Amino acid sequence: MYRRLRLCSNRGGYEAIAEPAHPIDLERAKARLAAERIPVVDARVMLIVRLDAEVTVSRGGRLLFKTQDPQLAERTFQRLRSVLELPAMESPSSSEPAGG
Amino acid sequence: MARGVMLMSGGIDSPVALHYLLRQGHAMVAVHMDNRPFTDDSPLSKVVDHLAMLRERYHQPIPLYMLPHGPTQITLMRSTDRHFGCVLCRRFMWRSAERIAVREGAQFLATGEALGQVASQTLSNMRSATASVQLPIVRPLIGFDKQEIEQVAKSIGTYQISTRPGVCCQAVPDKPATRSNLVQILKEEERIDVDAMIDDCVRKSVIL
Repeated sequence: MYRRLRLCSNRGGYEAIAEPAHPIDLERAKARLAAERIPVVDARVMLIVRLDAEVTVSRGGRLLFKTQDPQLAERTFQRLRSVLELPAMESPSSSEPAGG
Repeated sequence: MARGVMLMSGGIDSPVALHYLLRQGHAMVAVHMDNRPFTDDSPLSKVVDHLAMLRERYHQPIPLYMLPHGPTQITLMRSTDRHFGCVLCRRFMWRSAERIAVREGAQFLATGEALGQVASQTLSNMRSATASVQLPIVRPLIGFDKQEIEQVAKSIGTYQISTRPGVCCQAVPDKPATRSNLVQILKEEERIDVDAMIDDCVRKSVIL
């Protein structure tokens, strides 16, 4: 399951991390994205996917959404999830409260 | 005073280094290696704003060359050992900047590097990276610590620009080499067509 999206350290995007880890077969992912005519850049160790927000898909399963809009990041996650059959994201009620 | 080419990243350090060189009266040209799609638009917009501020302060035109570095990163990721990604990346930045320096009649290259701040800034990595160029490299901040640099950045007004939100470089490997030697690095570069990559990058540069 993916944890709730959280702002990355430089506050320029939202990242999604699966727990337990969910490695992604990038070759397979690339083929699926191509079948859906979704533009993708293959950098071997990661894919850069052009959806409503640009997403970096790492082999280890980490996703980085290059937008500062949390709703757009969430919508993009759901679209990517449906194409790549990724695990679901935890519901808001099961997420940790924001730390201070 | 000399003419130099300054590598500008959009971060905190490079505008501070540029400030010192401009203050000494050097005529500077800026080069930004555009790392998209491994980052977002923010580094370029920060560099544009840094330069606007420093042009006004020092009444210098400071032309900005933007060079597409993303395609180089893709080739490096596909064809070379990820461990040395940061050093290889730096070598391409230096060589591209040197080409711009020749075009601009500049006598030196400059950077905001300070020793030991990030993986690429260890002595052995700096040596491996800069062995790729002939022009002298000036590092006005080499002995500064982070706090000192931030203090100057705040005093010249560039800190607020540098710390705006942005996506950090996604091409940085999980475990970048903090030590490298030139033999290893040259071996990695045998796997790629270095000259063609630099030609392509410089040919596609844009002056902003």
